Amino acid sequence: MSLSGPFPRLLLTGRHDFTTGTMQTTSPPIRQGTFWPEFLRGMKTSLPLLIAFVPFGLLLGSRAVQKGFSIVEVPLLTGLNFAGGSEFAAVGLWSIPPAILLLAGVTFLINSRHILMGATLAPHLRHLPRWKIFLLLFFMCDEVWALTLADLHDRPGCRFSTGFYGGITVCLYLCWLIFTFMGGYTGNLLGDMTRYGVDMAFPAVFIMLLKGMWKGARNALPWCVSLGVAVLVYHLLPGAWYVPAGTLAGIITALLVVRGA
Amino acid sequence: MILHLPALLAIIVMALVTYLTRISGYLLLAGRCLSPRMQAIMDIVPGCVLVAVIAPDFATGRPADILGLFATILAATRFSLLPTMLCGIITTGLLRAVLG
Repeated sequence: MSLSGPFPRLLLTGRHDFTTGTMQTTSPPIRQGTFWPEFLRGMKTSLPLLIAFVPFGLLLGSRAVQKGFSIVEVPLLTGLNFAGGSEFAAVGLWSIPPAILLLAGVTFLINSRHILMGATLAPHLRHLPRWKIFLLLFFMCDEVWALTLADLHDRPGCRFSTGFYGGITVCLYLCWLIFTFMGGYTGNLLGDMTRYGVDMAFPAVFIMLLKGMWKGARNALPWCVSLGVAVLVYHLLPGAWYVPAGTLAGIITALLVVRGA
Repeated sequence: MILHLPALLAIIVMALVTYLTRISGYLLLAGRCLSPRMQAIMDIVPGCVLVAVIAPDFATGRPADILGLFATILAATRFSLLPTMLCGIITTGLLRAVLG
C-alpha cells in the first residue's frame, strides 16, 4: 500500500485499493508499529466526508449564534456532543433560558441509535483495555462507526484497528469543531447549501457503507423491512421514533431469515 | 459574559446523555459470548440501523429527492465514495432546479 501516493488518486479509487495491498495479512492481530500508517489510512478514508462536514458545520454554527448561543458555547456544544443530528435539533429547540429536560429527552431519542451501534462494535473491542474503549466510544458518531465497521467487513480476519479509528476521528472531529466555530464566528459564508443538493452527501455515504456490508440479496431483506417501517413511522409519529422502530423491524426480520439458514 | 450558566448546564447534560448512548451498547454486550447465529444477526443489524437513520431522506415527498437517491444508489454500485457523493449531490441539485 502506497501511503505516499498522490492524494486525489487514492481518493478516487476508494478504500478497496487498500485491501489489495500489503495490508491484507493473514495474521489477524495488528502488529506493533502499524499505528501511524493505519492512522493515515483512516484520515484518507474520512476525507471525502468533509464535503458534507464543512457546509453542515458552517450552517449549524451560524444558526446556533442566531438562536442565542455565544461564540464559546458553539464549539462546546459540538465538541462535547459530536452528534450532528442532535445538535441541529438542540439548536432548533434552543431558548433562553434553555429547557434542559426537553433538550435531554430529544438528544436521547435522536442518539438512541448509538446504543445499537455500540452493541455491534462491542465484539470487536474486547481485546482493548477498558479506558481505551471508553475513550474511543466518546467519538463514535455515525460516520466514524460506519467507516470502521465497513473496514472490518472489508478485511475479514483482521482485528479492530485503533489507528484507523483514530485517524477518522481526528479528521472529522477537528473539522466539525473548527467549521461549527467558524460558522458561529463569521456566519454561514456558503449560504444554505442544502438547496443545491449537498444534503445528499449523507445518504450517499450511508448507501456506500451499505454496499460494503452487502452479502447477497437474502441478507438485505431485513434492511428493506427496516427502511419501509422507518419511513412509515417517520410519517406517523413525531420525533426520532423511526430509528428504533425501523431497526427493531429489521432485527425481527433478521431473526426469521437467519433461522432458515 | 461569554458563557452562560444555564446554557453551559444544558450543553453538559446533552453531552452526558449522548455519551451514555455511546457506551451503553458496549456495556450491555461486554463480556458476553455470542452464538454463531447471534453473530450472523449482528452482521445484519448495522445495515438496519443505517437505512433507518436515512429513512427521512426517502420520505420527503419531493420527486427530485427520490430520483436523486436512486441516482446515488446507481452510482454506488459502480463508483467509490467520492464520485458517488458528487453524482448524488449534482444530480439532486439539478433535479431540484428543474422539478422544484
